[in-house]
Amino acid sequence: MKTFLARRLLSGVVLVFVISSLTFVLMRLTGTDIARNIVGPTATTQQVAAKEAELGLDRSVVVQYWDWLTAAVRGDFGRSWFSGDTVTSSLTDKLPVTLSIVLGGLLLSAVASVLLGVAAAVRGGLLDRVVQLLAIIGFAVPSFLVALVLALFVAVEWGWLPATGYTPFAVSPSAWFESITLPSISLAVGAVAATAQQVRGAMVDVLRKDYIRTLRSRGLSRRSLLLKHALRNAAPPALTVLGLQFVGLVGGAVVVEKVFGLTGIGSAANSAASSGDSPLLMGVVVVMVTLVVVVNLLLDVAQGWLNPKVRVG
Amino acid sequence: MRRRTFVGAGVVAILGGTAACSGESDTSSGNGASGGTLTLAPLVPSQPWDLKDAGLGNNTQYYQPVYDSLLRLDTKAEPIPNVATKWSYDSTGTVLTLTLRTGITFTDGAALDASAVKKNLEHTRTGANEAAGQLKGIKDVEVVGADTVKVTLSAPDPSFVANLGSVAGMLASPQAIDAGTLKDTPVGSGPYTLDKGATTNGSVYTFVRNEKYWNADEFPFDKIVLKPLADPTAILNALRSGQVDGALITTPKNVDAARSGGLNILRYQPGDVAGVYIWDRDGKISKPLGELKVRQAINHAFDRATLIKSVYGGLGEPTAQVFNPISTAYDASLNDTYPYDPAKAKSLLAEAGYPDGFSVDIPDVGPIFPEAQAAMVQYLGDIGIKCKLVTVPSTELLNQLLAGKFAISYFSLASFRSWDTITIQARPDSLWNLFKNSDPELTALIDSAQNSTGDSQNADFKEINTYLVDQAWNAPWAVVENSYATSRRVKVTAQAFTPVPGLYNFTPAG
Repeated sequence: MKTFLARRLLSGVVLVFVISSLTFVLMRLTGTDIARNIVGPTATTQQVAAKEAELGLDRSVVVQYWDWLTAAVRGDFGRSWFSGDTVTSSLTDKLPVTLSIVLGGLLLSAVASVLLGVAAAVRGGLLDRVVQLLAIIGFAVPSFLVALVLALFVAVEWGWLPATGYTPFAVSPSAWFESITLPSISLAVGAVAATAQQVRGAMVDVLRKDYIRTLRSRGLSRRSLLLKHALRNAAPPALTVLGLQFVGLVGGAVVVEKVFGLTGIGSAANSAASSGDSPLLMGVVVVMVTLVVVVNLLLDVAQGWLNPKVRVG
Repeated sequence: MRRRTFVGAGVVAILGGTAACSGESDTSSGNGASGGTLTLAPLVPSQPWDLKDAGLGNNTQYYQPVYDSLLRLDTKAEPIPNVATKWSYDSTGTVLTLTLRTGITFTDGAALDASAVKKNLEHTRTGANEAAGQLKGIKDVEVVGADTVKVTLSAPDPSFVANLGSVAGMLASPQAIDAGTLKDTPVGSGPYTLDKGATTNGSVYTFVRNEKYWNADEFPFDKIVLKPLADPTAILNALRSGQVDGALITTPKNVDAARSGGLNILRYQPGDVAGVYIWDRDGKISKPLGELKVRQAINHAFDRATLIKSVYGGLGEPTAQVFNPISTAYDASLNDTYPYDPAKAKSLLAEAGYPDGFSVDIPDVGPIFPEAQAAMVQYLGDIGIKCKLVTVPSTELLNQLLAGKFAISYFSLASFRSWDTITIQARPDSLWNLFKNSDPELTALIDSAQNSTGDSQNADFKEINTYLVDQAWNAPWAVVENSYATSRRVKVTAQAFTPVPGLYNFTPAG
């Protein structure tokens, strides 16, 4: 297990390095006139040139990249070219926003999809068909539409929850919960649809297995049969899907954060990429890739815990 | 005209969202109500606190609470006393003497005196951003006495005094400038100070009263909160649910929704003129555009009244001139120069030697301005001018225009005081005179305007405007209108030449 983890960690580090390098090069290839974007349309060409020199954009890409890399490995990601805030403090402010809504969405979808999936598999019949139909609808409706509808009715018309903004947990746990509820639900809808189908399929397969029949014939309670034996064996494929959903939800957060006016990693990635705010974008990329690597690692560990066969090799 | 995608919003903000002055006015808080919190949603994210890196326009909202400016601007954007109580030029129009209010201190205890002003002007102008750009003409700043500063310009700048009423004239603590701490914390002498404990960079900025501020009566609110929002839907939802008291509505279709949601709408002209800009007036890359009759034909091709409805959702005023209606150069009668007349346009094209029209490359601005682009292509197509769309990523649009890649395009340029408009686009070395067109007659008029004052200067401005319209330098469509929505808790008055009202303009309702 240790060598397995060490190998995964190492490949994770390589992945972070490769993707950040690619991003850096791509940023320089797009031809975005960053200095002009910063100083505005009425600035003279001299002002633009001065800004370029200030940002070091007049040096070769290799030199710029080396500067960034050597600073980044020391944990110094520089300052945003637009806001002037340090990238580290920006990310520290933004990461909890995105993590809150993504983990909230993931938790919601995990609970809902297990309940729906198991119910559909065990009960079958009408319930099964309704769940399947809902899954297809949930899959087809984009998360931004859910977000728009929720914001309009729940927040604006009924005034139950805040329409925009994020309150940190440390400031007020209840306000934090209120501020992430609608975004989390918006994100969860699509994920529930996909994962519930997966849970249902896996449960149906497992329930048909011989050992389930054997266990049943030995007089095990239905509850223990379902939760202890069937669900545990049906969980690995669902967990894999949930892990993939996490990556999908981080992507979906870009849109959902916009609708709810949240300043998370998603909206930062969007704005930094379009404005050419290289230091911020690089920071975002490193954090996002690291996050994905860590989540996959945790998933592997969880798989090993659920299924001893995985631990070998 | 502002699109939902961030890229669009960003570029529009870049194209049209800068103003040459801060939104400050002479409105006295007449109703006497005070206290409470004012929460506004700026359209743009904040810029660095160090004024040398400060922009103008929408960005001004972040600087106004903490930094006081040398002068203030009334609602017509005319300079009025503030930190400086008196100012006057010498006979050459290049030496400006400012007399300062005494006894003001910055929040870190440093004195606001002549040397602090000198330090600020010299520091801000070292930057590369918009505020710094307005101070580039300074040759020297001299401390004459504790309360007197002499600013020497390298050439007369008819807009310089007014610029001191905006970010360019804002003052930061000289101690903080020397210590280099402005990157993270603003230290000024303004009506409020930044409450860092209640501030999360990028999402919430909280300002509380500066108890020592000399003019606190003008600022009725105890607390100012700024929550940047860029998405049109998020802006509308935040306003309608009462989370913010004021925000710019960026899509015309949201104006009605805001009004029916119980919000007040303030309509005003921020000082942008949009339409077809004919850049290549000498016919360098598109020969036909070098012909006056062709440019006049283009002007006759557009039904401006209809364009206001179809392109701007009714938010705009038809115009044929690049100077805005409250500038001294404006002449309403010039708008009748080129009535909508496709037949006349065709015959002008024929007279110029293009009876079958011609084709021209234009940058594809469809992703940012879909309605405007469709209208331009259609109206020009009607008179035989075929527009060939060339794909340009929105982040490179400014770059390619400035590099002179296109002879003509749809665009929106800032238009404030007459002199600003001339500086931005009419001088041979103006940045937005893309092909550096010039003419002895025009140059003489501009020289004359720069070196005169008062009525004779305004007469020169009008002549310059008339020249540009007669020569059909451009084919403007509309003076753009902004819509600012406020909750019923606050009142706001419009401010000339700025995309959003300034802090001075807000008072509690009732």
